[in-house]
Amino acid sequence: MDKPDKLARVEQDVLSAMKRPGLAYLAALGCTAALFLGLLGFWGYQMKTGMGVSGLMHPVGWGVYITNFVFWVGIAHSGTLISAVLYLFRARFRTSFNRPAEAMTVFALLVAGLFPLIHLGRTWKFYYLFPYPTQRMLWVNFRSPLIWDVFAVSTYLTVSVVFFYVGLIPDFAIVRRYKEGLAKRIYGFLSLGWTGTRRQWKNYNQLYLFLAAFATPLVASVHSVVSWDFAMSIIPGWHTTIFAPYFVAGAIFSGTAMVITLVVPMRKILVLDRYITDDHFESIAKILLFTSLIVTYSYIVEFGLAFYSGNPFEMEEFRYRALGDYTVMFWIMIFCNSLAPLTLFVRSLRRNVKYLFVLSLLVNVGMWVERFVIIVSSLARDFDPYAWGTYTPSIVEVGITLGSFGLFFTAYLLFLKTLPVLSITEIKEHL
Amino acid sequence: MKRRDFLRVLGVLSGSTLLSACGSKTSKTFVSPILPPEEGVIPGEAYFSPSTCTECPAGCGLSVKRREGWPIKLEGAPGHPINDGGLCIRGQSSLTRLYHPERVETPMLRNDRGKFKAVSWEKAFSLVSESLAGSRDAGRKNLYLSGRTTGSLSRLIDAFCSRLGVERLPEFEVYSHSAVAEANGILFGERDVPRYRIGKADLLLTVGADILATHVSPVSYTRELSRARSREDFRWFHAEPHLSLTGANADRRFVVRPGREAVLLAYLLRQVLDRGPRRSGLPQEAVDALPRFSVGKASEKTGVSAEELAELADRMANARHPLVIAGGVSTSHRGGLEVAALAGMIQWVTGEIPRLVDFARNEKYGGTGTFRDMEALSARLSRGEAGVLFLSRTNPVFSLPGGFAFRENVRNAKLSVAFGDLLDETMQEADLILPLSHSLESWGDVEPRRGVVSLVKPVLAPLYGTLSEGDILLRLMGAVSGEGPATGYRDYLFAEWTKRFGKKGKDAFSRNGFVVEALPGTRVTLNGTKAAALLKDATAEGREPETPVLVLVPSLRTFDGRSRGLPLLSEIPDPLTTISYGRWLSVSPGTAKVLGLKDRMEANVSSGGWSQVFPVKIQPGLAEGVFVASRDFVDSPPLATDGRTGEATWFLEGIRIGKSGRVAAIPILSGSPSQRGRGLIPDPSHRDEKGHHGKESFYPEHEHKGYRWAMAIDLALCNGCSACVAACYIENNVPVVGKKDHLKGREMSWLRIEPFYGETGNVDFLPMLCQQCDSAPCETVCPVFAAYHNPEGLNVQVYNRCVGTRYCSNNCPYKVRRFNWFWHTWRKPLDRMHNPDLEVRGAGVMEKCTFCIQRIRAAKDRAKDDSRKVRDGEVTTACAQSCPTGAITFGNLLDPESKVYRLAHLARAYRVFEGLGTKPSVYYLGGAKGGPEKEGHG
Amino acid sequence: MENRMMFQDREEFLSALRNLAREGVPQERIRVETPYYVHEVDEILPTSPAKVKNFSLLGAASGTVFGFAFTILTSLSWPLIVGGKPIVSIPPFIIIAFALTILFGALSTFFGFLILARLPSVFGVVPKEEFGNAFVITVEPGETK
Repeated sequence: MDKPDKLARVEQDVLSAMKRPGLAYLAALGCTAALFLGLLGFWGYQMKTGMGVSGLMHPVGWGVYITNFVFWVGIAHSGTLISAVLYLFRARFRTSFNRPAEAMTVFALLVAGLFPLIHLGRTWKFYYLFPYPTQRMLWVNFRSPLIWDVFAVSTYLTVSVVFFYVGLIPDFAIVRRYKEGLAKRIYGFLSLGWTGTRRQWKNYNQLYLFLAAFATPLVASVHSVVSWDFAMSIIPGWHTTIFAPYFVAGAIFSGTAMVITLVVPMRKILVLDRYITDDHFESIAKILLFTSLIVTYSYIVEFGLAFYSGNPFEMEEFRYRALGDYTVMFWIMIFCNSLAPLTLFVRSLRRNVKYLFVLSLLVNVGMWVERFVIIVSSLARDFDPYAWGTYTPSIVEVGITLGSFGLFFTAYLLFLKTLPVLSITEIKEHL
Repeated sequence: MKRRDFLRVLGVLSGSTLLSACGSKTSKTFVSPILPPEEGVIPGEAYFSPSTCTECPAGCGLSVKRREGWPIKLEGAPGHPINDGGLCIRGQSSLTRLYHPERVETPMLRNDRGKFKAVSWEKAFSLVSESLAGSRDAGRKNLYLSGRTTGSLSRLIDAFCSRLGVERLPEFEVYSHSAVAEANGILFGERDVPRYRIGKADLLLTVGADILATHVSPVSYTRELSRARSREDFRWFHAEPHLSLTGANADRRFVVRPGREAVLLAYLLRQVLDRGPRRSGLPQEAVDALPRFSVGKASEKTGVSAEELAELADRMANARHPLVIAGGVSTSHRGGLEVAALAGMIQWVTGEIPRLVDFARNEKYGGTGTFRDMEALSARLSRGEAGVLFLSRTNPVFSLPGGFAFRENVRNAKLSVAFGDLLDETMQEADLILPLSHSLESWGDVEPRRGVVSLVKPVLAPLYGTLSEGDILLRLMGAVSGEGPATGYRDYLFAEWTKRFGKKGKDAFSRNGFVVEALPGTRVTLNGTKAAALLKDATAEGREPETPVLVLVPSLRTFDGRSRGLPLLSEIPDPLTTISYGRWLSVSPGTAKVLGLKDRMEANVSSGGWSQVFPVKIQPGLAEGVFVASRDFVDSPPLATDGRTGEATWFLEGIRIGKSGRVAAIPILSGSPSQRGRGLIPDPSHRDEKGHHGKESFYPEHEHKGYRWAMAIDLALCNGCSACVAACYIENNVPVVGKKDHLKGREMSWLRIEPFYGETGNVDFLPMLCQQCDSAPCETVCPVFAAYHNPEGLNVQVYNRCVGTRYCSNNCPYKVRRFNWFWHTWRKPLDRMHNPDLEVRGAGVMEKCTFCIQRIRAAKDRAKDDSRKVRDGEVTTACAQSCPTGAITFGNLLDPESKVYRLAHLARAYRVFEGLGTKPSVYYLGGAKGGPEKEGHG
Repeated sequence: MENRMMFQDREEFLSALRNLAREGVPQERIRVETPYYVHEVDEILPTSPAKVKNFSLLGAASGTVFGFAFTILTSLSWPLIVGGKPIVSIPPFIIIAFALTILFGALSTFFGFLILARLPSVFGVVPKEEFGNAFVITVEPGETK
C-alpha cells in the first residue's frame, strides 16, 4: 500500500472510534455514570451526616478512601512512564498506546483528586489546605506530608493535563479536518489553529521533549510524596524508608496493569490490531513482571527488616499484618502481586492477550488490597494495646469506591468517543 | 440612573436594612450584657456554692459551679469532713440527673386503663389525704417506706408519721450493712457501722469491703487511704472470694473461698491473741470458743496459701495500729454475722476501738432496715393490710428477690405513692407518682455520719413542677389538717438550724456547707458471753455458698442500680473490664478455657428455677468456680435472706453454666488487657534497665514563656475509679456517643483508664490522656496548623481550623485524639450543662484533652488582675480536682517550688513511650502500690 | 503569486525542497507544512534552534526560588512550633520547591511554546484549505538571492 494511503488509513482506523455511539456503548456509559452518581449521593450523605457513616473509627482514621487515593494516583504514574519516560528513552513501541495511557493518567488523577476531599471531616473547608493568606495571615503547614500531596498531585495533574493536551494538538487538527459545523469549530479551537508549519513543528518538538523531561521526575517524585504520607508518621509498619521506591514501583506495577485492562478490550472492540500488536503487549508484560519483582522484593525487605530490628512494635505489627484480622487480604495481596505475575516468565503467556487481561485484573485487585492492608493493619495495631481496634468498611465506602471506578470509566468512555484514541501523528511518523 | 439617585437609593436601602434589624424578635430571651440579671451575678463569672451530693448515701460535700445561674459542674468541697474535695464518678454524673430529659415533671396518677396521666399537686394532695382518712376507716395501716434518710428530713418524716398516724417502716437500702451492724450490736451494744479511721492505721485488712467503690463512704475512705499510703510503713491487704476494684488495688490480695472468711479471721484472731498487738483481753469463754487452726489447716480451708497467711500474721504482729474492716461480699452470706463479729473482736483485742473504729461518729446505718423487714412488709401487703403506702427514694420492686413477690403485692396497697425523680421499676408500679426536686433544686440537710451535718442548698429554681420531699410532707400535713402548710420546708429548716446551731451558726452553716459537731466519745465493752456464742460454730462447715457461685456485686457505676438511668455512667466503661454498655458475666480464664467460652459469647446461667443469659467477659485474677455480675444486671434476683441478720446473700449458689451459642454485641473498649511488654506501666524491677530519659533530639529545646504546664500522675495511688473521666466529660462538653458508636470503637473520652493485667492476674490502671508532647508527632502532620505547640507547653487544638484529615490521630502513639464522627446533640435540657468557656464541636473536627486550657486562661486572668503569676495549686484540671485519691497533680514545671516539679523529678517518675522521642509533659509515678515516695535525682 | 507544491510522498517533497534550497530561495519566502515532523527539513533549510528551552529554564528556576521563598517567608511570618521542628525546615521545603520547579517549568515551557509558535492562530482554527496528509511547500513571491 502506498504511503499516503497508509497515512489516511491510520486516520480512518483511529477516528472510526468516534462515530455515533451504539447501544452497547450507551449501556456501558449508563452503568458507569450511574455508579458515579452513586458516589455523589453517598458523598452528599456523608457530608450531611458526618464521617461516621463510614466504617472509620479510633484508631483506624484512614481506610478505604485513602486506599483509593493512593490506588488512583499510582495508576496515573504508569501513563506518564509510558508517554514521558519511554519518550526520553526513544522507545518506539510506546507510540501505539501512549495516548490511552496518558488519558488514563489524567482521568486517574481526576478521580484521585476527589478522595482527599471525600475523606476530609469538613470537606466544605477544603480550601484551608491551599496556601492563601487567610484573614489572620495564617498560611499552611508546609511540613505536613498532606500539603506536599497538595503540591505534588496538583503539579502532577497540571503537568499531565498539559502534556496530554500538547500531544493532542496535531491530532485535533486532523479531527478538525474530518468534522463539519460546530464540531469543526470546536476541534479547530482546541487545535489552536495548528497547521504544521516549520515554526510550529520546531517549537513543538522542543516543547514535547521538555515536557517529557519535566514529567519524568514526577513519576518518581509524586508517588514518593504520596508514600511519605505514611512514611513520615511514626506508626510501625508505616515508618520505614523503603516506602518511596516501594510505592513508585507499585504504582508503575498497578498502572501498567490498568493499561492492559483498558487497552485489551479497546483493541478488540475498536479493531486496532494493526497498531497495537502482540509485541507491544509483550513489552508491557515485561514491565509488569519487572515491577512485580521489585514489589515482591520490597515485601521481603519490609518483613525481614521488621524482624531483624528486634523492635517489638514492628515485629508485632508485621506478625499481625500477615496473620491477624486482615490475614485474608494479606494473602490475596501476595498471590495477586507476587505469585501470579511470576507466570510471565513464560513467553507464551506474555504473548497471550487474554491471559494478560485476566492477570491485569488480578494485579489491580492485588494492588488495591495492598494499600488497604498497609494502611489499615498498621493503624489497627500500633503502640498502645488499649487502643487496638479493627475496621470494617461500610456500604458508603463501598459505594464511593465503586463510584470512583464509575467516574474513571465514564471519563474513559467519553474519551473514546470524543478524542482520537491513538496518537495518530506519532504513528504516522513511525510508519 | 444618575449617580445621586443611585446613592440615595443605596442609602435608603442600607438604612432600612439596619433599622429593621433592631428590635429583637424574642425579647423575652434578651439578656442585657451590661446590667447583671441578678445581684452579685456577673455574666461570664463562675460562682460556687456549697451543697451535698445525694447520688448515693455517702453524702459527700459539693461545691457547685454556676454560670449565669445554671449549675454546670460539680466539684468536691475542699475541707468537707466526708470527701475533702474529691468526688466520685457517680457524684460527677449526678449533674446529669438534674438535667435528665426524662425526669418526671408533674405528679402522675394512674388512670383506669393503667396509664399515667399528669395531675396537679392539689389533686394529688387531696387524693392522698382522702386515702389516708379512708384507710383508717377501713382498718388498714398507712405505711411510709423510704431509703436511708438522715438529718432534718428524717425528723420531719417522723413528725409527719406521728401526726398523720402513718407507720414509719424501717428504711430500705439494698446495702444496709446489717450483718456488720448486727454483729456490732451483739458484741458492743452499738448496732451500727462505725467510722473507720483508715488514715491513722499502719496495717489495713479489708475483708470483702469494697471501700474504694461502693462500701459506705468510698470517697472518704479513698482519701484516707491516700494519706495512709504516703507513709512508708503502711500496708493494705484485702481478702475476697471474687475480684473487685478494691481488691485489684490493694498491696496484697488474698483470694478466699466463698464463705470461708471466718476461718481466715479466726486464724488471725488467734495469732493476734498469741503474738499481739494486744491491748485488751478477750474473755476466757470467748478464747475457749475460738476455733484453733494451724496454718496448713487454715490454708486448706480458706484457699489462701500458707505463706500468705503467715505473712499476714507477721504483719499483724508487727503492726502498731492495725485496722480490720469486714463487709460487703464477705458479710453477705449465711456466715456473714460471724465474719463481722470476728473482725470486731480483732478490733477489740488490738485496742483500736475507738481510735480507729469509732462508734461515736458512726455511719448512721443503725436505723436502716433489712431484707427481712422487707419480706415482712411484702407479707403484710399480700394480706391487704396496707392503706396508703409511701415509697420514697427506694426501688424495692427491682432490688428485692423475686421470691418476695413485692411487685405483685404492692398492688394490694390501697394507694401506693412513690416519690422519685426518674421513673424506675417501683414508680412504674405505683398508683400515684410525686416528682421530687433534685438536691440541686432543694433545701435540706444530710447527716452522713454522726456529728457531721452537710448542707443541701439549691442553686436554681426547680426546672419542672417538682417539690422537695420536705415540702411535700409539710403540704400534705397542711392538706390533711385543712390549715394549709404551716411553713415551707426552707423556713422549717432555717428554724431547725437556728435552734440547733444558733443564728450565727446557721449563717456559717449556710456559707460553709457543713458543720462538724463536737461529740462525746463512746465507750464500748465487749459482751463476752455473746461473743463466745457467736464463736462457737463460727467456722462450722456447711454454711458457705455452694460453688460454683455467681456473686452479685454493687456496681461502681450504678451503686445498687439507682444510677442506671444516667447516660454518662453507661458511656464511661467499667474499669476492670472496659465494658461500657450492656451486661456481662465475669468468668475466670480457667473456667472459660474449660467451657470453651470467649469474650462476648453468651452463656446461660441458671440456679434453681432462675436463669438468665449473659455475654461473657474473661476476668483475669478471678478464681475458678466464682462468677461475678453486677447486681443491677439481674432484675429481682432469687437471693436468700439470712435469718439472723436480715441481710440478703450476694451469692447465687450451685449455678450451672452453658453456652447459648450466640455472640452478643457488647462494647469492650480495650483492645488488649495486657500491655504486651511495651512498658506503658514499667515493671519496677526493670526500672534501672533503661534510663528514664528519652532519646536526645537534634533539635534544640524550645523556650517556654512564663509557664510550662505539666502533669504528674501517681500510679501507686490511682485506683481506676474513673471519677476523673466523668469530670472531664462534664467540664469539656464531651459528647456521649452511645452504644452503636462504642461497638465501632468511637468512644469520645478525652481521658480514659487503661487497665493492664499482668501475668499473675494483678491489674494496674493507667490514666491515659493527651500527653501534650513537646515534640508532638501530631503537630507536624496537620496540614492546616490546627494542632500546634503554644509557648506554654500545651499542644493546642484549634477547632475552627481543623478540616478533619485525621492524620494527627493516626500519628499519635497514645491514640488520645478523638474525632467527631457525627454532629452530636444533647437532648434538652442536658445542653444546659454545657460549659460556656469552650465550644461544642461539630462533626468533622478533632478534639482532645487540653489540660483544661479554659481553666488555665481563667486563672491567668485572675492573676493578671492582681499583677502576679498563677500560683502553684491555684489552677488545676477537672480530672485532678475530682480525683478522690489525689493521684493527679497539675502545675507549672518552670516553678521549682511546685508540686509537679518535685514529683516529675522523683526516681520513680517516667513517661510513656519516652523512647519515641515525643517528650511528653505527663509524668507517671510508677512503682508498686503502697511503695514509699522516694526522693531521687532529677 | 504564491507557488504551491503539494506532495503525497515524503521523498519527493524532500527533493523538491532541496531543489529550492539549491536555487537559493531565501528561507523567509518558503513555508512548509507537514503532517508530522520531518527532521530533514531542518537540515535542508537550517534555522536557529528552538528557544522554548529558555522559557523552561526561566520557569524552573523561578519555581525553585519561589518555592523556597514562599515557604520560608510564610513560616517566618507566623512562627508556629509544630512537633519541635525548626521554623525554617529545609527538607520539607525542598519537596515544595521541587514540585513548584516542575510546575512552573512545565507551564512556562507551554506558554513559551505558544508565544514562539505564534499559537493560537486565528486563521488555523477553521482554515480555508486543509492539506490532509500532504507535504506542502509554499513559496512566497519575491526575489531570489
